[in-house]
Amino acid sequence: MDKQKMFTIPELTKLFFVHTKLIAKTTLEYKFHRSLISVAIFCREMISIVTMYLIMIRFVSIKGWDMNEMLFLYSFLFISYSLFVFVFAGIRDFDAMVQSGELDRFLLRPLGLIYQVIASRADFSATLGHGAVGVILLIKTAGSVGIEWNLRNTLAYIAVILGGTVIQASLFMVSSCFSFWTVNTTNLRNLVFFNARRFAAYPLSFYPGVIRYLLIFLLPFAFVNYFPSLYFLNKPEVSILGGWIPYLTPVVGAVLFFLVYTFWKFGLKHYSSVGN
Amino acid sequence: MRTYVEFAKKAIQNNIVYRVNSYAGIINTIVMIFVNIAIWRAIYEEEATLEGLQFRLVITYIVLSFLMQSIFVMDEYLIQYKVRSGSISTDMLRPISFLGYVFSHNIGVMLFRIIIQLTPALLVAIFFVKILPPFSPLIALYFAISVLLGYLVLYSINLVVWLTSFWYFEIFSFITIKDAAVMILSGALLPIWFMPNWLYNLVQITPFGSIYSVPISIYLGQLPETEIYTKILLQIIWIIVFQVIGRLLWHCAQKRIVVQGG
Amino acid sequence: MSYIEVNNLVKDYKINVKKRGILGSMQSLLIPEYKMIRAVDDISFSIKKGEMVGFIGPNGAGKSTTVKMLTGILMPTSGNIITGGLSPHSDRKKNAARIGAVFGQRTQLWWDLPAEDTFDLLRYVYKMPEKKFKANMETFNELLGLNEFISKPVRQLSLGQRMRADIAASLIHDPEIVFFDEPTIGLDVVAKQKVRDFVRHMNKEKNITMLFTTHDMGDIEKTCDRMLIIDKGKIIYDGTPDDIKKKYAKYRTLIIDFVEKQSGIEIPGVEVCEDKGNKVQFRFIKDEVSAQELISSLTKKYEISDFTLQEADIENVIREIYEGGIKCDENLCGVC
Repeated sequence: MDKQKMFTIPELTKLFFVHTKLIAKTTLEYKFHRSLISVAIFCREMISIVTMYLIMIRFVSIKGWDMNEMLFLYSFLFISYSLFVFVFAGIRDFDAMVQSGELDRFLLRPLGLIYQVIASRADFSATLGHGAVGVILLIKTAGSVGIEWNLRNTLAYIAVILGGTVIQASLFMVSSCFSFWTVNTTNLRNLVFFNARRFAAYPLSFYPGVIRYLLIFLLPFAFVNYFPSLYFLNKPEVSILGGWIPYLTPVVGAVLFFLVYTFWKFGLKHYSSVGN
Repeated sequence: MRTYVEFAKKAIQNNIVYRVNSYAGIINTIVMIFVNIAIWRAIYEEEATLEGLQFRLVITYIVLSFLMQSIFVMDEYLIQYKVRSGSISTDMLRPISFLGYVFSHNIGVMLFRIIIQLTPALLVAIFFVKILPPFSPLIALYFAISVLLGYLVLYSINLVVWLTSFWYFEIFSFITIKDAAVMILSGALLPIWFMPNWLYNLVQITPFGSIYSVPISIYLGQLPETEIYTKILLQIIWIIVFQVIGRLLWHCAQKRIVVQGG
Repeated sequence: MSYIEVNNLVKDYKINVKKRGILGSMQSLLIPEYKMIRAVDDISFSIKKGEMVGFIGPNGAGKSTTVKMLTGILMPTSGNIITGGLSPHSDRKKNAARIGAVFGQRTQLWWDLPAEDTFDLLRYVYKMPEKKFKANMETFNELLGLNEFISKPVRQLSLGQRMRADIAASLIHDPEIVFFDEPTIGLDVVAKQKVRDFVRHMNKEKNITMLFTTHDMGDIEKTCDRMLIIDKGKIIYDGTPDDIKKKYAKYRTLIIDFVEKQSGIEIPGVEVCEDKGNKVQFRFIKDEVSAQELISSLTKKYEISDFTLQEADIENVIREIYEGGIKCDENLCGVC
């Protein structure tokens, strides 16, 4: 009986897509509304793009970075975030799940908690909104910043995007862990995530040492876009580590996720002793 | 009047309840200021004019913009909440003006922001960032008036957006698109003198410029005295325009409530 | 043989004390204060396989905390729980595969989609063979009439329909034990009856153990063989719903319709509790006054057109227990 109740990887994958299908159906129930949200998110994200654009047409090049290189650097954040809200939206909405009692419902099911949290949400509107910004930036810059899109670089690019997604998911998960203790963590998350992301929009070399270390070791956004960009743009700084740089991103992602998952389990233990 | 003061106090109290949020909000503003300073420092480092007046002007502009943004925060979903929960019908039975209630609630939110977020951010701005002082005491006074009017311009534009709650069930998209327009066209993101001409002109002719760029330009002493008066007059005009639109919408909304029962 | 075994169960909470006023909230912002609360205070009981048990108690009495521990959501502070040989908390996933839960106020159905989509999802969640799934759906459809509304979005269903679909969703995987939390809240009489009939039927048919937490005494009287009353974290009554009536329902009410208007009727040991001229209500203690004698003495003196005799309502009895009007009898409550 025990064997029958264990889930295999194909079963979990199948169940994940059953969820995704239902989420897509729900989204289509409100086609107009959800599309409007995509447009709104697109506009909101364009604010910082416009700022960068305005600064760059005025100053042309800052510390060796020109407009296209800068926008290429920024595009990583959008593409990986777009993937993040598609796969890991549940981690983002975890706060609400705790408050609505959905978490308790998950605890009554024979599946892992984190699996259910991840599988039960996908934010198609945000995926589209952020994705559109990211793809526009990539299309605008991919051909003009001197990257040779051969197999090696394409694979490296995919590894960077996937790793970057997991890194951002882990950072979000840090703040969602706090939901096990306090109820409202919106600002705390903004603090941890969106501010770090704001820093990461520009090259790390613009910042004083403390912030650089912060973005490398504590909130490793440097691996989401800065280090990979150094590699793809063939910046002089890249010569020290060379071709391995892009593959650091998934490694950092995996390590970070493991660490945060430990914290998550600790939080869950607290939750099960205190409740909602 | 007393009732409206109570509404404001209630809003302050509600904000205090979220402890973690309060602490984080302060740091949020300060981080934002630092990111932007780092970017502008990088730009001016290249031009080797970090000590120059130009750099300090830019920094002061940016810091003022963020300080204002940190207190120009409103409860954007209050009306939507009232409409969706249906409590709007009971609110209308009370012997108070609903729009007055919304306004005093938001004043409460702003006062809370001033106490909790502005004070520490301002101290950091003055001691660590070394922003330029106002051009003169008189200018400081004009600036204060203009900030207040800027708030009212933003509030009036917001009110129009919020009132669409009566016709559409979820106004997140409207608010977000409005925010994008405000940020890009108000001169909140970067000093207006760096903008290309077409955008500069857009900031001047749209109501959004009255929110951030007018008060900041006054503070920096970039406007001659006569132009200060015209700009302040312009702010007042925009307030009136959007208040009139808001009242009209509210009038239609009231009819709608009577017909549909909320 | 007992299916659920609870021994010396205790649950403590630390709660944040909030103060009033602006100064008060400022103070709790800076220096939060905590206070310990014992929600469940050393309770023990056991439940047999296939038993239907009602949990009642005033709000905050500890019943939902107890249920959360029985389902594995919460970990006990001390004491232990065994359900069907497993510890609900430490063997959460294994335990979850064989429990079901219905929350009257919170649906597990996907709100914007037809209920059939949720059923389809649950098939994978509980790894049900297709044949078994189809057979169960067939049964539910027969008993609950699911087909009428199963392909409409859940948000468009009536509360009764939604509840029926919710209950089916909680039973789809043939659980051994099902927890019901306010399963009939807000339902009309007919819908309530349907739910109760279905629940009884499933209990008989599949020998499912069922636990109810509810404020509706009707649910308990109509469905449960046993009732546990919890107050201030302790079990203060454990027995059948009938017993509590027999033991504690001291009063009976006799309502008489007189042909003519009467006033000033006085009978020793009987209290007139409502006097509407023709219609008079008498209340008396059933062990001291015989209803038959009372009626015959009244018919001798007055002309009576009709009468009704009411036994004490279980709801009133329970209310009196909560309010401390009735002290629990040691003999009846074995576990007090």
